[in-house]
Amino acid sequence: MEVKALEENGFSVFQVTGEINISTSPELRKAFEKQSSKKVVVDLEKVTYIDSSGLATLVEMLKKTKAQGGSLGLAGMTDKVKSLFEITKLDKLFSIYSSRAQALTQV
Amino acid sequence: MSDKEIVISVRNLTRNFGERRILNGINLEICQGETLVIMGGSGCGKSTLLRHLIGSMKPDSGEVWMFGQDIAKANEDELDQIRKKFGMLFQSGALFDSMTVGENIALPLREHAKLDEDIISIIIKMKLELVGLRGFENLMPSQLSGGMKKRVGLARALVMDPKIIFYDEPTAGLDPVMTGVVDKLTIDLTRKLNITSVVVTHDMGSVFRIADRIVMLHQGNVLQIGTPDEIKHSKNPIIQQFITGAAEGPISFMQTGDNYLEHLTSKIKE
Ligand SMILES: Nc1ncnc2c1ncn2[C@@H]1O[C@H](COP(=O)(O)OP(=O)(O)OP(=O)(O)O)[C@@H](O)[C@H]1O
Ligand SMILES: [Mg+2]
Repeated sequence: MEVKALEENGFSVFQVTGEINISTSPELRKAFEKQSSKKVVVDLEKVTYIDSSGLATLVEMLKKTKAQGGSLGLAGMTDKVKSLFEITKLDKLFSIYSSRAQALTQV
Repeated sequence: MSDKEIVISVRNLTRNFGERRILNGINLEICQGETLVIMGGSGCGKSTLLRHLIGSMKPDSGEVWMFGQDIAKANEDELDQIRKKFGMLFQSGALFDSMTVGENIALPLREHAKLDEDIISIIIKMKLELVGLRGFENLMPSQLSGGMKKRVGLARALVMDPKIIFYDEPTAGLDPVMTGVVDKLTIDLTRKLNITSVVVTHDMGSVFRIADRIVMLHQGNVLQIGTPDEIKHSKNPIIQQFITGAAEGPISFMQTGDNYLEHLTSKIKE
């Protein structure tokens, strides 16, 4: 897994590539802790798989962003990744956008 | 199934307990992403077969191939590595009575990974949600009903996101609605995540809801293996008696025979 943290139109964008799993999710968590923007987009387009620790990390990021009065959107997930959210009903918690561009106008 | 990758291959598996031969040369192949149901009379060796599949029992002879390795010959270190990749729901639930529900679920996570406690807590709650037990993380197993313990066992089996899950009677003791919830979860995990499920169950409703293939064990052997349709229309009288639940038939539970009187009056060994 690789995480790139970018600034785009006042958003904090996290572009993740690869598998978010039990050994890599702490890295995403660390990257998120370094930012302070109230508008966050996590670009999951290049993510192949997310395990429970990855989902939990995203849940925590959502909670922390909301606690500061901000908002967090997930963008570009593949069907397979989407079904991981659906089974755990997390698709109901997150704002999910088809692409990063769409997320950047709507989050 | 022939086009699918085989993830578990059982070859000539034999196991005796004392004088009794329980598994008598089982051959079985399990494919990636299928739900295979194992059926058979009580005491015929279903749980014993599962224990051999997960490597907690060693066969007298035969092989169990999983993840490119013969589990039957793996040592404890190798088994430890393999155990990370599958989940097991035991017939009894097998929870630790001295730990809370949450601690029980987190056990495999704490053993195999270094995650922040906040993340572990979210994972515990996500898994409890899956099995319909939101808010039960701080109870002790002794404070739960049998069906609830079963579901906590299932949450624990799922905590490492295994690719293969073994279930020993997951719906025994559950009410019809919870049976439906657990069945749907099994189906979702297979259909949506391509997880392989091996399920021992006596619940005929569940069997025909979840199975891609069914294997019927009888007297230590595979009697028949086939799709739900093939099993439903099987001409084998033992299978027909089993799925219809008829008391009379080739499977005899009334063992009255010539020596019944002798048997009743013989001394039980000390
Ligand atoms: N550890 C053991 N030592 C001796 N005999 C055993 C042991 N475990 C199982 N058996 C015997 O092996 C046979 C199969 O037991 P097993 O628990 O596998 O049956 P099962 O098919 O799972 O039955 P059920 O449907 O009632 O759960 C039984 O006759 C049992 O007495
Ligand atoms: Mg059993």
